[in-house]
Amino acid sequence: PERGCLRAWAAQSQALVGRWTTARCGGETRRACRQLRDELRELLRRIRGLPAALPALPLELTVLYNSLLFTVGASDSAIKGEAEEIRQGLLRVLEACGACGQDLGTEELWEKVLQEVTVEELQAPLHRLGALQAAWWLAASQLGSVAGLFQLLSTAEDPRRAQCSEGQNKLLSLIKAWRVPPEGASLPLVQSAKDLKEILCTAAAFLQGLQELEAGNFPTALSLLQEAAGGFCSKNILAQIHTCLGCCAQRMGKPQTALQQLKRALQVDFQCLPALSHVAAVYHDLGEIDAELQALTLLYEALGKSPPAAASSSPCFLMRAELLVHTPVLTSLLRRRHPSEVKYLLAQRCLQDGRVADAVEHYLDFLSLLQDGLQQQVPLDGSSALPRIPEVFLEAASALEQAGRHQDAITVCEEVISRTTDLIPRVLRVEERLEQPESSLPGAELAGGLLSQKKESLCCLAWRAAGYLLQGWAWAKLGKSKEAVTQFSRCLSDLLRVLLHGSGIKQTENLQPEVEVLQKIRLLSLLGRGTQFLELGRNKEALLDFQHSLQISPGDPAAASYLVQALWELNRKQEAAAQWQKFSQSCPAEDGQQQGQGRPLPLYLVSCLQQAVFPHSEALARSIQDYLGTAAQDT
Amino acid sequence: MLLGEQDQFLSYNGEVLVFQLSKPKHAEEADEKPMKLCVRRMVFNRDTKLFVQKSSGAFSMGTSHSKIEMICCSCTTDSRTGIILPCILMKKKKRNSIKYFLLLLHSSNQFEPSFYFKLDYELKEDIRLFSGPSLLWRHANKLFYISSNTCVVQSAPVHLSCVVWTGEIVGEGTVVLGKRAACLPETEDPDGFSVSDRAIWGSEFFGYAIQSQKFLSGACFMPHAYSRVVSSVHVCRSERLRKQLRISLVAITHKNQLVWFQNGAPKGVCELPYEKPCSVTPALTSSRDLLFAVSFASGNSCVVQRRDSLQVASKWQKVKCVLVDDFIGSGSEQLLLLFKDDSDTDVLSTFKITDLGEVNYASDINYKHDVPAAEGLQENGLLTVRALETRLQAGWTSVRELQQHLGLQRRVILESCRALIDLVEERTHILPNSKEVKCRRSLLNSAKPFVEGLVSLWDDVENPPDSLSKETSSASEVPEHFTEELWQRVVGDSLVVGVKLTESFYLSLSDVSLSLVMDQDFSSIPPIIKCQSKIIKLNKAFSALAVSSNQIEPPPKKMKLDLHSKNDLRKEFPKRSSRIQLDGAKTVTAVTSLSPLLAFHHVCCVVLLHARKQNHQNDGLQQSKKITVLCGKILLSLEDISNGRYSIKMLRDNSYCTGSMEDILAVLSVSVRFSFQIVSCDCTLTPVSSWLLGEMECTPFKECQDNIFCHKAGNVRGTIFNWALRNPFEGVLTIFCRNLTVLFQCLHSLTRVLPPSCSVKLLRSGSKQVLTEQLSLALEKEMLTLKNSLFLKETKAGNSLTWGNESGKKINNAPLASLLDTEEGVQQFRKKLQKEREESVQSMNQTLNGALYQTTALKIAEAQISSDMIVWRLA
Repeated sequence: PERGCLRAWAAQSQALVGRWTTARCGGETRRACRQLRDELRELLRRIRGLPAALPALPLELTVLYNSLLFTVGASDSAIKGEAEEIRQGLLRVLEACGACGQDLGTEELWEKVLQEVTVEELQAPLHRLGALQAAWWLAASQLGSVAGLFQLLSTAEDPRRAQCSEGQNKLLSLIKAWRVPPEGASLPLVQSAKDLKEILCTAAAFLQGLQELEAGNFPTALSLLQEAAGGFCSKNILAQIHTCLGCCAQRMGKPQTALQQLKRALQVDFQCLPALSHVAAVYHDLGEIDAELQALTLLYEALGKSPPAAASSSPCFLMRAELLVHTPVLTSLLRRRHPSEVKYLLAQRCLQDGRVADAVEHYLDFLSLLQDGLQQQVPLDGSSALPRIPEVFLEAASALEQAGRHQDAITVCEEVISRTTDLIPRVLRVEERLEQPESSLPGAELAGGLLSQKKESLCCLAWRAAGYLLQGWAWAKLGKSKEAVTQFSRCLSDLLRVLLHGSGIKQTENLQPEVEVLQKIRLLSLLGRGTQFLELGRNKEALLDFQHSLQISPGDPAAASYLVQALWELNRKQEAAAQWQKFSQSCPAEDGQQQGQGRPLPLYLVSCLQQAVFPHSEALARSIQDYLGTAAQDT
Repeated sequence: MLLGEQDQFLSYNGEVLVFQLSKPKHAEEADEKPMKLCVRRMVFNRDTKLFVQKSSGAFSMGTSHSKIEMICCSCTTDSRTGIILPCILMKKKKRNSIKYFLLLLHSSNQFEPSFYFKLDYELKEDIRLFSGPSLLWRHANKLFYISSNTCVVQSAPVHLSCVVWTGEIVGEGTVVLGKRAACLPETEDPDGFSVSDRAIWGSEFFGYAIQSQKFLSGACFMPHAYSRVVSSVHVCRSERLRKQLRISLVAITHKNQLVWFQNGAPKGVCELPYEKPCSVTPALTSSRDLLFAVSFASGNSCVVQRRDSLQVASKWQKVKCVLVDDFIGSGSEQLLLLFKDDSDTDVLSTFKITDLGEVNYASDINYKHDVPAAEGLQENGLLTVRALETRLQAGWTSVRELQQHLGLQRRVILESCRALIDLVEERTHILPNSKEVKCRRSLLNSAKPFVEGLVSLWDDVENPPDSLSKETSSASEVPEHFTEELWQRVVGDSLVVGVKLTESFYLSLSDVSLSLVMDQDFSSIPPIIKCQSKIIKLNKAFSALAVSSNQIEPPPKKMKLDLHSKNDLRKEFPKRSSRIQLDGAKTVTAVTSLSPLLAFHHVCCVVLLHARKQNHQNDGLQQSKKITVLCGKILLSLEDISNGRYSIKMLRDNSYCTGSMEDILAVLSVSVRFSFQIVSCDCTLTPVSSWLLGEMECTPFKECQDNIFCHKAGNVRGTIFNWALRNPFEGVLTIFCRNLTVLFQCLHSLTRVLPPSCSVKLLRSGSKQVLTEQLSLALEKEMLTLKNSLFLKETKAGNSLTWGNESGKKINNAPLASLLDTEEGVQQFRKKLQKEREESVQSMNQTLNGALYQTTALKIAEAQISSDMIVWRLA
């Protein structure tokens, strides 16, 4: 009684699957998975060492199926590339049938095999292998190939089942129409084809949902993602699907639905922290600052407590939906915010909302994070919420200033000033419309490089000037007018380094944003210095500054009011009255215009802007009106 | 002398023998000059690291017009002396016949002709030299052999397609291993995997012992399947163990594999790097490794190493031949690779001697840099370090996780301690910094709302749907229309009688049961029929629909500012959260065995309803009285049953199962009910519903879609399932089945579909939630009973001191300090203390009426038992 190869292989295959079933129940799945993968590969190698034979093929294809599943399970990363092994399997089938298809593409190979091989015993293993092939194609986002394959699998069995009902997704209905071949006891599987089908359904719905989301077809995306959420998947991926659903609803303008979905995501898996940052974004859109801040706080703490990459628990399934879905859209939707980024967002939102004390705390936390190590702490990719670091410093100074911690604000500004000193050229020529490098010209690229360098210099200059400006206002708040004047003067002299070229300097709309910021800094600086001169009683110099500031920004209410006050103080009451009248007539119109036109100012200038508002407009108006009244009486 | 293509190489005792046939240089000279066979003995010199000629010899072939060729050479045993000698087979072609002759080479470099024979065809296939010296070959699928003893060509009685090996096997002498078309002796049944290799692949191995002229089974070498692919074999070891032949061998195949067999089973496979392997030679090297040198038709060569598994250790191209012997005289074998060389250099000028370990000599090595090849070692080291690093990292992560967990635990414990201390010292405990708590809770995935603004992220615990409505109606009288319907059904051997009660009536009852009493007077038997009562609730509700894209946006949740406003909100929408609409009626059923009743042919039964009617009292304590109500009469006759009047009709209608409500209720009441809580820790539980609808072929009832009916043919048919998902990872599966066998069948089938991380738990009765609710109620009742009994004791014991008075006398703490300042105060205080002590002693000695105590104790015990029961169920 000799033991045939076939029986030996079958026994070994059965033993290996049995070992997996026991290993799956006890912990050590990962190691067992790797070991079994190697042993199954060895078995497959042995089988393939002999000529393909029809009686042995069902076993061979089953061993191939199991070994591929172990390969997937052991790698634990998303499936990539072509499944060469499956191709080999199909070629063996053709070899046994006396055909060949070496030079066919994989799709054509499948078509040939499924149409020409009619051996009854081979149908079930071939169909299972087909499901695996579909998994590989799904992972490569080759949805067309998957649909084609399932069309073949369905028509091979029953042509009527392949019909697609109206309104349903074609691919999904094709996958669902596929009848899973029954599992025989003699050819045990490490993961049933039924599981595989469910996973394929979930992954296909999820993938297509993401594609539709990217394409902007939100209702379709929503229904597909919902289909995916009802499918068979792990906690991890269910949370991801709900997060995507939330994003989709948010983009459709349904913030409450979005919140519901994101909440579900967190309920399913609290480690799905991207959902939390989306929650914050939704609240931001809704304008619910309290809720947004709480969400961000929670996110920050959660980020701090959970290890960034939680060691995934040992998988009980070899093929999982998460191994099939990896698209750029998903990675961007599920981008894990960095703690420092969240901290900054907290600080920024507090400052924007005027919660100065909280803002100060958050900014200081952020700065201390920076000190722990810049490179590790701050993500510098494009999708980061962080602005340039000097701007964060300036915002921090602004927050400190608003919180009344003037000395601290001055120190922080000093940091910015000292760091940028070496980065600013003595003279910076700025052509008016910088951002138009003629791409057709040969030197365009070089010009572009020069341009970005110039832009960088402009930024540095703006930061430094803003540093001086903030310091000036801080000194002013401390009542040290002399120091304040010094800082304002430094700011102004720095700004003089910029030489604007071009015809219409006055046309502010045409200026690029960096220049516009510089102009604003200049205006605020002049105003600040003027007020300090007024304090010191140097009214003439004050008048000069206010006149300059009016030149920069004609019709600026604060500048105009200060000018009137300076004239008044200089006892040029008639002029003052005339100016006041002129200003008060044009005032409302100008105001509206300014509101509409302006690009949003940098956050760090907002505090200066508030401080520069003329404080005694009522009193001034009254005294001028009195004067005008008496003057009218006099005449 | 130039190296010709025809040269033959042979290793012998560490020497390399080079056989060369001196050819006439010009065609004219061919006639005059005699042909000579030369041999050169080459030895490797370890000092110069080169091969040098030790000696040489020549054999004159005589002049003739015939063409002389060398066919093959080998080392074989000379049967006369038992010494292994090199021998070479020569061919001399004459006009119409071909003469073959074998030459033996002695150590004196003299050639000795051993035997010769003439054939009328050319030897081409499977020519092998073996001990004797003897020779075998294959011609026209037949095996021929000749030896020096007989000098006669003999043939073996076998048709063969190929000879893969010839050699000595213990106890058998020289054995030829060949392949031939399979001859299937017995008709096999081609079922499953029992099909033999021969039947599948259609060819087989056979062994033929030349001396004894008998056949050996080929299966002790290799499985017959390999006869389709094996091209060459080398038997490494053969031994006999209890008359069983045990053979270890290595084979190479057309499929470019090298396979290691032991006792006829493949033990290791190695893919070869080139196509068409033609021979394999084993070598035992100094590092005790078994190497297999494989040469390919293309002139390539590779070495396969056998350690844990078979691996290609090295490969070379343009190799003329590979010899295995101890060339350097170290005591173990090395490989000698002779490379093809186009340049006109002397024999053995381009070579390589290696054992893939320490020994490595080559003609082109500059020995100045004779450093051991440590690259591989270094790479291995690197890989090891990397692997260790990963392990370290993984360990570190888990340690960190543990630390965090411990930290959390410690904080919770600390906080609890603090709370406890505060409690003991009667301070109000202030929770720590709210921020800290918030996030801690949220990380623990608490179900409680944790931040005011984010309240909508966490739902409140939903109101139990029926707790509110239960309290509302408290009709104390039996309403006129308390039953809606009375029906009967026959299920199998059981009779089911059902009474449908109106909801309002049902809600005022507890402990409802039915009894059947025979209306006729059979004096011989008791009129009461033994039956089992059940109360069945069926929800007509549909499962909640999923949000669809065209669904309107839900209204924003209101901010919950504090606890009070939350309560207000709840009052405002008391039933918003309860999704389940209750079916208007409840049905009480009674199940009894049918066959005894049928004995009477016609039976008329009175159906009585027993229940406790609840009266709500102000103190919350419910008192009840027993009531018995007549519901109606049922008639039962054998005729009706035979006509199928009361039988169950369940039909499959498209994707639904149609059956009247009574039918469903009847089936449910005769079935055994089991509930299982299924919890999956990682995957969603969709396999359960696909199992129900797919494998079990279930369809939901049209009337109550929560319940689904199993149509699967066989024992399980008629089982009713109820699958309620609480969330994607948890659900309760209720199975109504005929008997336990069916239950086990269902469960067996279910476990195969469930993800392995699932846990299935039998719920003894009801879900965990219901049980916890019951437990709290029971505990409350227990407390109330205790309190009431105490109260009873006080009032009825007639003690003048009441607890109420005492509480008023409690010492006020505030003036206590001032009291203790003066001596008088202290005295007063002491007096008070004394009095209190007396009182407490007195209160301990209170007496109680015996009967009262009995009833009280009974009540308390009952309450305790009921709560203990629920705890037991919950556990």
